[in-house]
Amino acid sequence: MLDELDLLKKDWQKKETNLPRLTYEEIYKMIWKKSSSVVRWIFYISIIEFLLPHLLYLIPSFRNEMDYNFAKSLGINNWIIALTIIQYAVAIYFIFQFYRRYREISVLDDAKKLMKKIFRTRRTVKHYVLFCLAMVLLIFGVFIVGMALDDNLVETLNIKNQNVDPDQLKWLLIGVMTVAGILFTGVLAGIYFLLYGLLTRKLSRNYIELKRMEA
Amino acid sequence: MNKELEHQFVTELENNQNIVHKVCSLYANNRDAHNDLFQEITIQLWKAYPKFRGDSKFSTWMYRVALNTAITLYRKSKRRPATYDYDSVVYKISAEEYDPTQEQQLSLMYSAVRQLSDIDKALVFLYLEDKNYSEIAETLGISEVNARVKMNRIKTKLRTILNP
Repeated sequence: MLDELDLLKKDWQKKETNLPRLTYEEIYKMIWKKSSSVVRWIFYISIIEFLLPHLLYLIPSFRNEMDYNFAKSLGINNWIIALTIIQYAVAIYFIFQFYRRYREISVLDDAKKLMKKIFRTRRTVKHYVLFCLAMVLLIFGVFIVGMALDDNLVETLNIKNQNVDPDQLKWLLIGVMTVAGILFTGVLAGIYFLLYGLLTRKLSRNYIELKRMEA
Repeated sequence: MNKELEHQFVTELENNQNIVHKVCSLYANNRDAHNDLFQEITIQLWKAYPKFRGDSKFSTWMYRVALNTAITLYRKSKRRPATYDYDSVVYKISAEEYDPTQEQQLSLMYSAVRQLSDIDKALVFLYLEDKNYSEIAETLGISEVNARVKMNRIKTKLRTILNP
């Protein structure tokens, strides 16, 4: 019995005449269109991810929270400055690393290598995002510790209220700050991993299949 | 110089466009998706063209870029329906060789191939294009032995679909 696939092969090679045919002009127009490849998407989204932590400072409430005077009055100003310097240094390193790996992606590689390089590029951004999330938590942490160590927090913040015990108010504020820190980090992480998962779903599936073949 | 390169590229692609259409016919579900994928492959080919030095045939080089785009780079647009609705475009059988039993079997085969995973389709595509196992393995980045093993599994899979 003739192999089914060989039967198909014979037919497949006869099919050429039934294929659509584009003209020179149609193809010429296409080379100037924008690519919508996953690599381009990753590039755009990564740029947003690199900028996002910096864009947050443009939101008034966020800027107030990180307010210089507040930090200064809590006596944690130097910590915040040190963390900011570290953050920028690490961001520059990641951007450099990202760009290098992005440039390595080549459609001329074999399928597996291509996928691997895309994932490596993506992983750079993933590590950067994890680092940023950790920094956000850390900054919240420094504030919380600063607040806890401040004996006159209520005076510092100028929110003295006759009806509420200052000590209770202090711990309430610390509680709110802790919950806000965790929620904020959680939401950012959620958005990021959802986006990442959706973007690379097909890619991951195919990569796993290729890798399993070699197992 | 640039104009010359553009002209050279478009002419080569125009002459070899069947390869891209065949890839699209396996990976796209309808005419719109077909055109979309064709366009993305064209963009990728054009971007990579300066690196094509002619040490391999243009068509050989196209297989790799086209499949990489279909399997890895191309993202299906959400707006497009997922249903398959254009058998008539590619899989027509010419009237003079019409054989009802064979035609039915072939159409079953084609629909079975379409149900395969992206990677399996790539293997089948290269096989149908008469590529040898070393070329198949090299395109996908797997070993030749594994390409053979995988191809045999796909054949068994297709046989089961055809003779349940």
